Amino acid sequence: MKKYVLKRILYMVFVLVIVSFLMYCLYNLIPNDPARAELEGIKKTLKPEQYEVMYQQLRDEMGLDDPILVRYGRWIGVLPEKRTGEFNGILQGNMGYSSFFKVDVTEVIPSRMVNTIFINVFVTILALAITIPLGIVCAVRKRGKFDNIVQVFTIIGYSIPIYIIALLFIWLFGVTLRWFPVMGIKTPGSNYTGLRAFLDQLYYLALPILVMTFASLGGMTRYVRTAMIDVLGMDYIRTARAKGLREKVVVYSHAWRNALLPVITVIIGWFLSIFSGSVIVENTFGLNGMGNLYIIGLNNHDYELVLAVQMFYTVISLVGALIMDLSYGLVDPRVRVDK
Amino acid sequence: MKTKIAKIIALQIAAVMALGLFAGCGQNDDGTTPTTTANNGSAVEENNNTETRPNRVIFGSTTGISGDLGNAWWTNNADDKVVRDLINDYSTISFNKSGELVLNGTVTKSFESVINDDGSKTFTVGINEGLVYNNGEPITAADYVAYLLVEFSPQALEAGAAVAPDLVVGGPEYQSGEVNYISGLRLLDEYTYAITISSDYIPYYFDESYASLSPLYLPMYASADLTVKDDGQGAYLDGGSLVAEEIDAARWTYEGRVSAGPYQLVSLDIAASEAVVEINPNYAGNFEGQKPSIEQIVLVKSVVETEFDAIKTGSIDLLNALTDGNEINTALDLVEEGGYEVCAFERSGYGRIMFQCDFGPTQFAAVRQAVAYLLDRTEFANQFCKGHGSVVHGPYGLSMWMYKDSEELFANEINTYAYNPAKAVELLEADGWVLDANGNPYESGVRYKEVTAEEAGDYPLNVTLSDGRVLMPLHIMWSSSENNPVSELLAVMLANGQQTADAGMEIEQAVMSFDDLLGYLYRDSSQGEKYGVPTYGMYNLAADFLPTYDQSYYYTSDPDLVALGYNMEYLFDDELDRLSMDMVYGVDPGDTATYLDYWQKFILRWNELLPSIPLYSNVNHTLYADWLEGYEQNSVWDFQQAILYASIPSAE
Repeated sequence: MKKYVLKRILYMVFVLVIVSFLMYCLYNLIPNDPARAELEGIKKTLKPEQYEVMYQQLRDEMGLDDPILVRYGRWIGVLPEKRTGEFNGILQGNMGYSSFFKVDVTEVIPSRMVNTIFINVFVTILALAITIPLGIVCAVRKRGKFDNIVQVFTIIGYSIPIYIIALLFIWLFGVTLRWFPVMGIKTPGSNYTGLRAFLDQLYYLALPILVMTFASLGGMTRYVRTAMIDVLGMDYIRTARAKGLREKVVVYSHAWRNALLPVITVIIGWFLSIFSGSVIVENTFGLNGMGNLYIIGLNNHDYELVLAVQMFYTVISLVGALIMDLSYGLVDPRVRVDK
Repeated sequence: MKTKIAKIIALQIAAVMALGLFAGCGQNDDGTTPTTTANNGSAVEENNNTETRPNRVIFGSTTGISGDLGNAWWTNNADDKVVRDLINDYSTISFNKSGELVLNGTVTKSFESVINDDGSKTFTVGINEGLVYNNGEPITAADYVAYLLVEFSPQALEAGAAVAPDLVVGGPEYQSGEVNYISGLRLLDEYTYAITISSDYIPYYFDESYASLSPLYLPMYASADLTVKDDGQGAYLDGGSLVAEEIDAARWTYEGRVSAGPYQLVSLDIAASEAVVEINPNYAGNFEGQKPSIEQIVLVKSVVETEFDAIKTGSIDLLNALTDGNEINTALDLVEEGGYEVCAFERSGYGRIMFQCDFGPTQFAAVRQAVAYLLDRTEFANQFCKGHGSVVHGPYGLSMWMYKDSEELFANEINTYAYNPAKAVELLEADGWVLDANGNPYESGVRYKEVTAEEAGDYPLNVTLSDGRVLMPLHIMWSSSENNPVSELLAVMLANGQQTADAGMEIEQAVMSFDDLLGYLYRDSSQGEKYGVPTYGMYNLAADFLPTYDQSYYYTSDPDLVALGYNMEYLFDDELDRLSMDMVYGVDPGDTATYLDYWQKFILRWNELLPSIPLYSNVNHTLYADWLEGYEQNSVWDFQQAILYASIPSAE
């Protein structure tokens, strides 16, 4: 097991290096002059001589005239910085400088990450709490009236783009019924603390949480239903029923535990996705989360920020894949991960 | 069992909503909670003037606060600037509602200037006594001098501040660390300072703006106990050193932030993209002595998709400067329903077709003029701005005082290039576009013109005939950015228009990313060799103007400056260059008549050469709840200025 994990970690490092280099090169292929962009806003207030000095100074500081391998080396942290002569890259914990926010990327991400995690934790728990029992009921009542109704709704929910669901919910619960605020993350101007702040935030985030939960019901419900239907058709289920076991025991002890095997990877994937923000929902509700940050980075050519976010997700994906593989081996004795 | 599970699921869904609602309950027992987000009630009811409401405005903007409250040395975003302007004032020179520079009488007791023998200019500024920061500490001339000593310091440069120290005599030596004082900056007494502007920058029509400083609270920028001193050779900081990290940290200081403006910062929450400011009780007033009456302003981020729902439900009270025609029409619908008002104002700028005038067909003024005649700009502006735009005929905004003073002149002398395809053909023929691709007299298709070797350049579409004559086709390469509605409308109304084909002109659109477009525009070969080759003669971009209208160097022939991005139109016209330079460098400050004369000549010359075609100038609309009274905004008088004069009579 240890050997397997170590081998996987080594692979991960290798993949990370390749991915980071490819991403860095891709973003640097985009024709873009960050020094010019940085000064564009104040160009009209400067005399040409001042502009030229500042422009060249910025180009020099940013190392824009250096070969791409050198810049990559500095970004990663295996080559020293031009100005200070110190190693100060990703390996040293420096994820880069956000040209849009004018601060280090590591200072931009945490507050956004907190918002995203806050929303996603609720969404994940609620969605799983709803979809798993719903999928089980549908499988048990296969082709019954309840199952048919749920199938129709899950297909509709699965097919409708999330921004349509968001706008419909805003119209219904925000504008018409006035149950929830349509935007924001807390009461404007409030300075609540403790439980009050938590409840206030929950009230403001209720609508996006509802939207994301609703949008995620269809897929998982159908996934659980299919897994359960497969298992309920197995011989050992028929044997269990023939033995006279109660239906509850058959469904939960015998069927669900086996149906869980294909579902477990999806569930773990969901928990890992709590770090990734929903670009559409966060932008629709004006929430400062990771998805919104990513769009801001792209729209403003803040490539160091975008690269940092992408590197973070690359790491999450690789670690997630490892956890999924390991967990699969843990829940299913037939799968041996150390071979 | 199945029924039980179904019940559990139903309960869970209900629980989600109940939890949210529960969290929302009890929010109205606190004065900080908006009464307008309470359940039920129509928009009209919520904006009823008879209702008592908090003395507060919630300002919504789609930009969002990034939290950078640094001085103008850093280019912070529009919303950060709103916060910065709300909490900082007391500059010695201000802009008035017409965009003119005026002395800030609340701050400035005296303002004198003298030209020195070496051509430099010294401004001696007296500060009124009794001004204080929001924490009650007094403001003296040392605070104004401190501003420049921090701004020009080597540490500020290290912290990434974009500053130009050579403006002030002794500034470069101070910034390089050669000396620890600025010889052109003097602290004369407790309430008087002097600043000497380098002769390189004098004369300049707006030179008073150079002498405009604001107070800087030193303890916020340095942990050391620094004081401003002057031993006779120039002002300096005594008692320790500045540190780059501390200067940078001052940009992000929110708690207990010391400032001197109409409002003071109460909180800034980057995660929520929200800033809260409240009246600064120690504020003495703006340049007119005006103080705010609205107790609290909350700045929040809005999103286009839901901004009108937000204002209807009271999450936002004011949507600033809407430019999109559809958004404006929605805003006007709300006004019609009742409960809201709009403030409409002309943008100081425009969307435009920009030509590069040194190669290909667009090097000929007649071609540029013909393009203008082939486009119905009035219809274009109407369609693009959905009726909320206007057309200008030169590089100016309709709200500028210069334009207002020139309306009569322009009515007679400016060419409006009204839609006239026949006139376009007439101009082209007069300019020599009378041949076909074989050198025969033109009958149909694309027109050609016999050009000299110099005119031909390396334009790849040229045709060389067997007799050695070089013909240039009337084929304009147009670079347009992707997902750009202006490009889409231009393609329909101009490039693919029948009138264009009938005139013998072809406009070939190339859609590309904005980064690509900029590469070609700047001819930046460092981004790739292809960008260094003049390829596209036509672009569609935007232009905006500052109140200090200054077009100097933008028509320069100096190749070094052109390479730096000055004169992106590559129009090398001596007269236009001279007029743009003389307008600001050949006129004494205060001589508005001469300035206006140069300005008019510049506009008329520009209008004749037409390096760009103005397409539309938006009429921006700010939408706000009708309980806000006295709110008047324009393109040079933003929310942060206008709100000082507004009030909420129904406030509790």
